[in-house]
Amino acid sequence: MENAVEEEKFPGHPLLPYLLILPSVAVILVFLVYPFLQSVQESFFASTAFGTKTVYVGLRNYARLFASPDFRASAFATLLFAAFVMIIGLSVSLAVAHLLNQKLRGQGFYQIALIWTYALSPAVAGAIWALMFAPATGFVPYVVAKLSGGYLMNWMTNGNLALLVVSAAATWKMLGYNIVFFLAGLQNIPEEFVDAARVDGAGPWRTFWDITFPMLSPTTTFLLFVNMIYAFFQVFGLIDIMTHGGPGDATNILIYKLYRDAFLYLDTGAASAESVIVFIVISVAAIIQLHFATRKAIYAR
Amino acid sequence: MKVRQWLLIGLVWALGACLAPLSALAAGKVEITWWHAMSGNNGKVVDAIVKDFNATHPGIELKALYTGNYAETLTKYITAYRSKTAPNLVQSYEVGTQTMLSSGAVTPVYEIPGMVGETWDWAQYVIPITNYYASGGNLWSMPFNSSTAMLYYNRDLFAKAGLDPNRPPMTWEEVEAYGKKLLASGAVKHVMSFGWPGWMFEQQFAIHNQLFANNENGRKAMATRVLFNDKFGVKVVETWTRLAKENIFLYGGPEYSANSAFQGGQIAMLLQSTSSLRGIEKGSPFKVGTGFLPRLEGFPRGNSVIGGASLWVTKGQSKEQLRAVWAFLKYLAQPKVAVEWHKGTGYFPTVNAAVQELMGEGWFSQDQNYLTAFLQILSGRRDTAAATGVRMGPFVQIRELERTAIEKATSGQVSPKAALDDAARKADQLLSDFAQMNR
Repeated sequence: MENAVEEEKFPGHPLLPYLLILPSVAVILVFLVYPFLQSVQESFFASTAFGTKTVYVGLRNYARLFASPDFRASAFATLLFAAFVMIIGLSVSLAVAHLLNQKLRGQGFYQIALIWTYALSPAVAGAIWALMFAPATGFVPYVVAKLSGGYLMNWMTNGNLALLVVSAAATWKMLGYNIVFFLAGLQNIPEEFVDAARVDGAGPWRTFWDITFPMLSPTTTFLLFVNMIYAFFQVFGLIDIMTHGGPGDATNILIYKLYRDAFLYLDTGAASAESVIVFIVISVAAIIQLHFATRKAIYAR
Repeated sequence: MKVRQWLLIGLVWALGACLAPLSALAAGKVEITWWHAMSGNNGKVVDAIVKDFNATHPGIELKALYTGNYAETLTKYITAYRSKTAPNLVQSYEVGTQTMLSSGAVTPVYEIPGMVGETWDWAQYVIPITNYYASGGNLWSMPFNSSTAMLYYNRDLFAKAGLDPNRPPMTWEEVEAYGKKLLASGAVKHVMSFGWPGWMFEQQFAIHNQLFANNENGRKAMATRVLFNDKFGVKVVETWTRLAKENIFLYGGPEYSANSAFQGGQIAMLLQSTSSLRGIEKGSPFKVGTGFLPRLEGFPRGNSVIGGASLWVTKGQSKEQLRAVWAFLKYLAQPKVAVEWHKGTGYFPTVNAAVQELMGEGWFSQDQNYLTAFLQILSGRRDTAAATGVRMGPFVQIRELERTAIEKATSGQVSPKAALDDAARKADQLLSDFAQMNR
C-alpha cells in the first residue's frame, strides 16, 4: 500500500469527477435500485393480474414461501445446480486450461475449439443439449442404450437425471469463458517460479498445488463469483428450452420459478418476495466470498 | 459548418415528427392495433389476412404485431393496459379466459354490435367453440384460432404389428391391447406419448362428461375447488401409470416435444393438438392416421375441449376505433377468410358457412385426417358444462400442477392418488386466493 502516500489529485474542477460518474450512477439508480425497491414494496402486497386491486398482506408472501415444500425443493435444486456449475465447471476448466497451456502442436485450434461455446446464447446451448439428449431420438440416449444393453435414459421422467443433464449443459456452456480466464492467469505466472520449484525437486502435482494454484487465486476468485452469478441468474433460457422446470419440478431452480410466478402466473407478490430472498442470499454469499478471497488471494507480484 | 449540420438534422427530425401524423390524417384513416402470438407459418397467414383486410377497407389501417408467445403477449398486454397504452385488440390463450373476464379491461364482443348501431347473427358460429368463450350465455371474446386434441397413429407401424391400419384404438383398454401387440412385434420399444399432458388430462374429463372443478366447471360461478383428485381423475392417471410400467406409455415432456418421437417412428401413437396435423403430415415419412381421443369403458360420453386462443377487445375506445375493430371481427367471419385461415393453419374455421364451403369443395375427402377433429367435436355433447371444459382463474398455474402430478405419478415417484391430492390441495389454495382478490 505504499502508493497510497503519493495519491494524485484529480485535475480540473473538484466536482468534475462526480459529474463524470453521474451517468453510470443514474443508470444504476433508474434501472437497478428503483426497480429493486419496487420489488421490495410489492413483496408485501397481493394483487390481481391487471393490478385492479392491491391488498397489503404483510409478510404472507414470505411466510408462504418458507412454508412451501416447492420453494424449499427449488432452493435445494438451485444449490445443487450452482455447486455443480462452480465446482465441476471450474475444475474441468482449470484442467483443460492447464493442458492448453502446454506447448503442443495445433494449440491455437484447440484453444478456439474449446472457447467458442461461450459465444452461444443459453437458448442455443439448451436446444443443442435437448436434441442430443432427446430420450427417444437423441444421440446420447442411443449410445447409452447400446452400451448398457437397453437402459432407457429418459431424463424427461427422471428428475435427478434431468438436473444432472441441465447442470452439465450449463457447465459446458460456461467452459469457454472459464478456460479463457484460467489460460490468461496461467500465462501470467512467471516461469521462473515454476522452474525454481522444479529445481528444488517438486513434482508436477506439488508444483501445481504449491505454486500454480495459489498464484491463480485472483482468477479463481473472480471466476467463482462470475459462475455463481451465472448459475443463479443466467441459465433461464437453458431451463426454459430443455425442461420447463420439469419433470415434477426437479429442475425448477429459483430463477425459473421466479419467472413463472411473475410472468406466467402473474403473481407479482410471490415473485417479488422470491427475488428479494435470492438477492439476500446472493449478497451474503458474495460478501463472504469476497471477504475470504481478498484475504487469501495473492495479488502481489 | 457544424452548427449548420445540427440545424439540418433538427429540421429533418421536426419535419418527420410533423409529417408522420399528417400522412395518417390526410388519408383519413382510423388506425387500430392488434397484438397476437402467431409466429412461423401461422404468423404468415395472419399477415396475409391483415394485408387483404387493409386493402379492402380503405378507411382503416390495421396494424398487427407479434408480441411473443401467449404468456408473453398477455404479460405485455397487462403492462400496456396499466400504462394506458393497450392495443385495440389482443389475442389471449384459452387458459387466460377467466383472467380476461375478471380484468375489467375488456368490452365483451356481444355488446359491440349494439354500441356501433348494428345487429349481428351470433348463431353463425360453430357452437362448441362459442360455448367455450361464452359467459352467462353471451360471447365475451371472438373465437379465432381454435383447436382440440386427437389421436395420431402410424399406419405403417400398425400394419407391421399385424393391426388393422384403418382402425385406431377407441378406448384405453384397446390402447393397451394394441400396445402389447406393437411391443411384441418388435416394431417399437414404446408405443404412445402425448403433448400438453395437463390439457390431455382435462380432455379426459370432458370427453367423459366429468366435472373438473366445482360450480359447474367454474361456468356458473367462479370455481373454488377442483375435483380432479376424485375417483375419475385417479382412474385416468392410474391407467397412464400402468401403461408406463408396461412400456406402452412414454412420457414425452410438455407441449410439442413428443412430436419428434412420433415423427421419427420411435412410437406408434401420439395424443396431440389438432393444430399439429399439418406439421406432422408434412414431416413424417409414413402414412399418418387419426382417431378420436381414447376413452375409458363404462363412463358417459361428453365432448373434447376447445383449445387455442380468442380475440379480446380493449375497453374505452373511441367509436371510430370500435367500428374499425368490429369491421375486422366481421371480416374474420366471412367464409372466404375463415376457409383461408383453416387451410393455412389447420385451426377450425369458426363459422358454419365456412365448414359448408369446405365440405362443398370436397376438402375433407382429400384428406380424411382434417375431418377427424370436426367429427369429434360435432358428434359430442354441447349441453353440459363438463363437456364444454373447465374455466378457472389461475388456470395456467393449475395446468402446471396437473403436469407435475402426471410426471410424478407416471414415473413411479408417488402413487397417482397422492400426486393428484397434492396438486389439488395447491390448486384449491390458488382458487381461493383468486376468488378473494376478484370478488
